[in-house]
Amino acid sequence: MEQKIENMNENKNSPIARRKFLRVLGTAVAGGSVLAISGGLFSKAKGSEVSHYWQIDPQKCTQCGRCETDCVLQVSAVKCIHANKVCGYCDLCGGYYRSNVKELNTAAENLMCPTGAIQRKFVEDPYFEYTIDESLCNGCGKCVKGCSSFGNGSLYLQIKRDLCKDCNECAIATVCPSDAITRVSLDKPYKLKDE
Amino acid sequence: MMNKIVLICLFLLQIGQGVAQNRFPKPDFESGYKYPEIHYAVANENLLVTIDILLLVALMGIVAWAVIRKRTRKPIIWVSVISVAYFGFFRHGCVCSIGSIQNISLALVDSTYVLPFSVLLFFILPILFAFLFGRVFCAGVCPFGALQELIHIKSYTLPRTLSIILGMIPWIYLIFALLYAITRTSFIVCHFDPFVGFFRLGGDIGMILFGAVLLVLALFVGRPFCRYICPYGALLSLFSSVSIWKIRLTDKSCINCELCHNACPVDAIRAPYINKVNESRQRGVKRLLNYFVLLPLMILCGAFLMRLISNELSRSHKDVRLYEMVVQHEANPGEALSVELDAFYGQGGDIKELAVKAEKIQADFNFYATIAGILIGLVIGITLIELSVKRTRKLYEIDHAACIACARCFSYCPQYKIGNESGNKPL
Ligand code: SF4
Ligand code: SF4
Ligand code: SF4
Ligand code: SF4
Ligand code: SF4
Repeated sequence: MEQKIENMNENKNSPIARRKFLRVLGTAVAGGSVLAISGGLFSKAKGSEVSHYWQIDPQKCTQCGRCETDCVLQVSAVKCIHANKVCGYCDLCGGYYRSNVKELNTAAENLMCPTGAIQRKFVEDPYFEYTIDESLCNGCGKCVKGCSSFGNGSLYLQIKRDLCKDCNECAIATVCPSDAITRVSLDKPYKLKDE
Repeated sequence: MMNKIVLICLFLLQIGQGVAQNRFPKPDFESGYKYPEIHYAVANENLLVTIDILLLVALMGIVAWAVIRKRTRKPIIWVSVISVAYFGFFRHGCVCSIGSIQNISLALVDSTYVLPFSVLLFFILPILFAFLFGRVFCAGVCPFGALQELIHIKSYTLPRTLSIILGMIPWIYLIFALLYAITRTSFIVCHFDPFVGFFRLGGDIGMILFGAVLLVLALFVGRPFCRYICPYGALLSLFSSVSIWKIRLTDKSCINCELCHNACPVDAIRAPYINKVNESRQRGVKRLLNYFVLLPLMILCGAFLMRLISNELSRSHKDVRLYEMVVQHEANPGEALSVELDAFYGQGGDIKELAVKAEKIQADFNFYATIAGILIGLVIGITLIELSVKRTRKLYEIDHAACIACARCFSYCPQYKIGNESGNKPL
């Protein structure tokens, strides 16, 4: 038996010789395709300045609420950011109070933010400063909606670079109804309103 | 009351102006108030990406050295631990090589898509290594493979027929992943990633459960995800099967003891087989002819079926769905607006433009789904042929397409010690 198979090896038309030939052919094809793909794409690929990091365009965002629910993280990487330089420092803040509150006091049922992440500080009459406690904010965008409807639009949502996992495809971007989430470059990783 | 009226007035104002800014003037502070300084942290991504790539190459190099030169398993366990810790729990498994297939294919068909250099490297380096040394990436550098590797206790082999049939799934998954990526529908590989939830300690509950099932399976069956799901593994197996330096069990001659066969977790060692049916030439030709009829038939069927459902498939694209919603809404405008429609009309949605977009996507789907159908037919046809072909083998042989370079088999070979002591030079 052994002898026989060895003899077959020498025979050009034996299945084993044929297989060997096919394998060499396969190696050549595979090597060629590795070269072709890398050659073709290396010229196209860009370094770190390329748009790679997900960010929200505040001009497009419609505060649908999916930023809170659709991020792959348990607590969304999207946070509310406050552009103080755009803010009117209003007493009657559309992002702070709900729109049809009976009394303007800081009881929780009157406040827009479900987690109490917006802090209000008296500055001078009649101005109040608002800041966001990021550890509480869940990116629901309720305050943003209020502020863009009734105020200066100084509250807006951004994906925090230090929290975001930089998913290959941002899970929120796939469901964002306003196509507000696109890739940006690391040089300008935020779309800030007060710059 | 007054406040309410003001609010209502402002609301009306806003509707008139679209996205208005600066409804209220910038305050003039008299108390010397200063705007708070805000800095937003940016992690040093460039550095991390560089470390990623260097580590990827270094780990694959170690595995290649261990399986081809040294025939030892210990370094592979360490590589697996490092990979799970770094690529898995620290980097959270994104972007991984498996997902990069989608970025690459998208970059190939769509010239407007910018491909980050790091993603290209993540895609091409494991393939290059597979072409040179076999699937050394799968051995323990891939965090998903490493995770399954580390928890594996005992290997039960599945029936060969079942294994071959399940083995079609990665290819079909790969084809669908490409179809959805190049039509810019979604990255399904990233969407249905069973392990990333573990690494992130949280995520989509369905996928985590699926991952848990896979991990429990992985205790007793070698690499269930790798063998029956992973699309990148399918790609690597192509390159591995024609690799230049092959993993070999021993330099001595095999004594057909069967020990290595039992050691392999992924059933990659083929037992000797003597094809007793000595086929006559005529019958052989007839069988070949049958295949030549079967394969094109499968391809035609695949193409036809996929074309048939291509419109249905295109509905997973966001814009096509939106278009359908808009059409439905225009038909009976009374209904409440969904979030999507709200955003669409809020942005002054142009229905004609959307219709053009949706049509273009559907046309894309018609075309690419047909190609996908051809490929699926090919996969099924080749699998059927594989099931019926029997090859004569006189010794135990490694099937290099299936071997994931885990190095378990070497030490089981009774010839191992002799070979290793006498200055083994496999290269
Ligand atoms: S999903 Fe889009 S529209 Fe909705 S809140 Fe997030 S960015 Fe805004
Ligand atoms: S309302 Fe929502 S988005 Fe605004 S601060 Fe509170 S949690 Fe964050
Ligand atoms: S990229 Fe991922 S982690 Fe970042 S915001 Fe999107 S879903 Fe969340
Ligand atoms: S087959 Fe896929 S999941 Fe398994 S180790 Fe290889 S690349 Fe990773
Ligand atoms: S090295 Fe390959 S053939 Fe050997 S046990 Fe591992 S997977 Fe099986």
